[in-house]
Amino acid sequence: MGQLVRRPEGLIGVVILTIFFVLAVVPVLFVGPLQTAVTATGSRLEAPSAAHIFGTDELGRDMLNLTVHGARISLSIGLLATFVTVALGVVVGIVAGFVGGFADSGLMRVTDFFLVIPTFVLALILTPIIQDVVGSAATEVFGIRMSLVVIIFVIGITSWSSTARIIRSQTLSLRERAFVDRARVVGSSNGHIMRRHILPNVINLIVANAVLTFAGAVLLETTLSFVGLGDPFQPSWGQLLNAAEEVGAATLGAWWYFVPPGACIVLVVFAFTLLGTALDDLLNPRRRMRR
Amino acid sequence: MSLPIPPSARDDITPPDVETEELEEQEALDAVAAIEEVAPSAGITTAAQRRQRPLPKLADPAAPLLVVEDLKTYFSTGSGPVRAVDGVSFKVEHGEALGIAGESGCGKTTTALSLVRILPANAKIMSGSISLMGIDLVPKSDNALRRYRWREISIVFQGAMNALNPVRRIRDQIAEPIEERLGETPKAARKRAGDLLELVGIPRKRGDAYPHQLSGGMRQRAMIAMALACDPAIVIGDEPTTALDVMVQAQILELLEDLRQKLGLSLILITHDLSVIAETCDRVMVMYAGRIAEEGPVDEVFRRPRHPYTQKLMAAFPNIHADRRTLDVIPGEPPDLRQPPPGCRFSPRCPFVMPVCREVVPPETTFSGVRVACHLYPAGSDGVPVTVPPAEALGEMPVAAPG
Amino acid sequence: MKVGYLGRRLASAFVTILLIALINFLLFRAMPGSPERILMRNTPNVTEEMKQAARVRWGLDKPVFPDQLIAYFQSTARGDLGFSFAARGAPVLDVISARIWPTIILFGLGELLAIIGGLALGAYTGWKRGGWVDQVGNGVSLVLYATPYFLLGMAFLLIFGLALRWFPTYGMLTAGAQYHSIWDRAADFGSHLVLPLVVVAIGLIGQYAIIMRSSIIETLSEEYVTTARAMGLRDSRVLRHHALPNALLPTVSLIAINLGYIVAGAITLEVVFNWPGLGTLTVEALTARDYPVLQGVFLLLCVSVVLANLAADLVYAMLDPRVRT
Repeated sequence: MGQLVRRPEGLIGVVILTIFFVLAVVPVLFVGPLQTAVTATGSRLEAPSAAHIFGTDELGRDMLNLTVHGARISLSIGLLATFVTVALGVVVGIVAGFVGGFADSGLMRVTDFFLVIPTFVLALILTPIIQDVVGSAATEVFGIRMSLVVIIFVIGITSWSSTARIIRSQTLSLRERAFVDRARVVGSSNGHIMRRHILPNVINLIVANAVLTFAGAVLLETTLSFVGLGDPFQPSWGQLLNAAEEVGAATLGAWWYFVPPGACIVLVVFAFTLLGTALDDLLNPRRRMRR
Repeated sequence: MSLPIPPSARDDITPPDVETEELEEQEALDAVAAIEEVAPSAGITTAAQRRQRPLPKLADPAAPLLVVEDLKTYFSTGSGPVRAVDGVSFKVEHGEALGIAGESGCGKTTTALSLVRILPANAKIMSGSISLMGIDLVPKSDNALRRYRWREISIVFQGAMNALNPVRRIRDQIAEPIEERLGETPKAARKRAGDLLELVGIPRKRGDAYPHQLSGGMRQRAMIAMALACDPAIVIGDEPTTALDVMVQAQILELLEDLRQKLGLSLILITHDLSVIAETCDRVMVMYAGRIAEEGPVDEVFRRPRHPYTQKLMAAFPNIHADRRTLDVIPGEPPDLRQPPPGCRFSPRCPFVMPVCREVVPPETTFSGVRVACHLYPAGSDGVPVTVPPAEALGEMPVAAPG
Repeated sequence: MKVGYLGRRLASAFVTILLIALINFLLFRAMPGSPERILMRNTPNVTEEMKQAARVRWGLDKPVFPDQLIAYFQSTARGDLGFSFAARGAPVLDVISARIWPTIILFGLGELLAIIGGLALGAYTGWKRGGWVDQVGNGVSLVLYATPYFLLGMAFLLIFGLALRWFPTYGMLTAGAQYHSIWDRAADFGSHLVLPLVVVAIGLIGQYAIIMRSSIIETLSEEYVTTARAMGLRDSRVLRHHALPNALLPTVSLIAINLGYIVAGAITLEVVFNWPGLGTLTVEALTARDYPVLQGVFLLLCVSVVLANLAADLVYAMLDPRVRT
């Protein structure tokens, strides 16, 4: 960690992300509860003023309030989706790399297939179908509404393939190392070796990859919400942008509607990308040698 | 949405197998043996014709071919300048073969690259002179220097996969300098390229091949042919045989020797492998940490090494005829060239180190045609190689290099 | 041996397309309750006869495997992609083809501009590494990478369309306009095209420039470039004949792979500018849950990406002798 903040990219990334994470964890502390149409404090599409520094939306809700709460939604979705993606990718990658043979070719065929298909298009068609299957009941999982849970799930199952490839190559090279042979001689089972020996050695790679995956997940969720698959009751930044588009904010000149959530997205993804490349430089031995 | 790793197309490359390699080498040997007939008709100058070659305008025909005087090349890094080459002087005559030996990082490659001035962006020739036929190359601008590149000095790198452009045919790569630098027509250039291929023992038809289709030995020959394209006076070989197996190595060395005789080339051979130098060179220059340790005729230096480093180098090489013994190693590491030790740079590891070695840079003295920079051989002494620690030697050799 | 490489790529592309079609098929049948319920969504007072009629019309009365599956593949191969819900039963193929050209023009042009501009920019910055142009360019590209296309579009729309009033902000042609000549029409079309085209180009140029730049930097450290310079060849020749042909190789692959990712941007950008192409069609179909159209678009987009990858593989084979021999 210390080395990370010593690099300028790492430092900037960590600072930006810390700010957003704090906002995301306890938004109520900063701006009060999420405003609804009923509890809106302003009138329709007010420009920024002292009372509302980011202006209001078409329902009169304070944009600052919406944007900060949006942080919680967007980042939670991103985080959970990253878990799913990384978990899937790591399992597939380690199993394929370690077990080899038919399992490897089979898994890699599947992985390559998912790599070729445009992720967004797949997510675009899966989401409405699953949302319709699950229903739009207001049930919540971990405090997140069902339609958003579907998005988490869909992002997870469409984005895991690049992680799987990366982890697999690392596993392949680890497999040849002496400590694995020693474990085998002792008689450890494959599962045991994969869990206790391979996994700890790919953690570094996983972390760097997870950070970049997080950025991708946030972007994907934003885009899915923008085309109308999000939830207006738990608006993420993407959902706010969708609302802005539907109201015609850009043509009405209501820039305050889409600039705050948009800027937040850019900042967060930018910070993640900086962090991810800094981590990659630090932890990836091959790139280290290049320098 | 991070970019995924693209599927590597390189999985599709099949390298030539060993049998093909052996067959090709035999073909090549036969071809080289027939060089005598090829050379005169191919328009390639023989030793006899060498004196009539058009010389650069400013050249002094009486001057030695190459004189390097006190060359200093430093790299600028974040933590200070690295003195890679720190005061190196030597001379190469027409038709002579000089070997430059030393460990990795001793500055031999940097010296060679300084001669053609193909240095990385952070390296610069700080001072000294490089006189090619009496013309000092150091003060020349990059543009002015181009005249001499390849036409007077050319360089052969290790024939690894990446030393040749993987997407162009061999013959086109050899023809390129002929066309661009000598101004020949494409057709004439291609013909001459074919001649050169035959000269190094590659059948003319193989010129259509791409580098990945040739074996290691063939690629090295192709590089040599490329180096000869503009009829240079000096060819520098930077570890030309290191990547090859022993049999092929021997054949390449034989080829180089043949070419040297027939074409009257001068050769500068850079390698860490003393046996290569022993076989092909007239003179040898042993470098350590950016400076010359010892320099002289190969016979004299190898049979009676004077500098303790040279002695250690010779001892470190296993002798196939000698009795079995544990290999001598030189303990410690080469110094950090950002802060080299004052005085003699070998002093931290020298078994014969004396107090003066740690303070004063040893001056070069000459005995029986051998130049040596060591306090064991001050001017006026008898110059007999020292093999036992002198009286003033400081006890134990340190195990690890300081600093 | 070239046949082997080509053959394998073709076969793999074909299998992928089959799989895509299969997924398409399964998705529709995977819907809950009965597919007919979805079909009849917008129709009030559904009777049993109407449901049965719908089943017959859509072939849902036959068993899924193998009858429906085979029927599906047959009709898809024929170009029959079903009928749109929202467009009152118009064939999906017609619906899609009506909207495909605006997308092709916008993104085709954008891609072309970006390839030429991006590769040139990348080659230049890679060759002349360092300096403030490089740093600034790098930073800008990084920010652009983090910005979703539609956001950029919205910003541009606001600044250049609204605030500065340089360009129109809606659609492809001015609604209800009368054109006196083809040039008037072309001019109107052109002025509508500029903003979205610029946004498309900017995003892509940035990405391609980055890819090309790192490719060139990597190539420049190879030994054959050092040899070429030691030969005394002019810089321009070294760049054009040695560095570029090798730097293009990974660039071509990465450009092709990138195509899959810019599809997202394409769809959303059209929405922002109300460009009447496939993107707006997709979002309309999404909102109306018009599944046949959605599936048609899904099939089309995925197949296009697969074909683009295939084309890239072929181009790669042309450029790199190591894979063809």
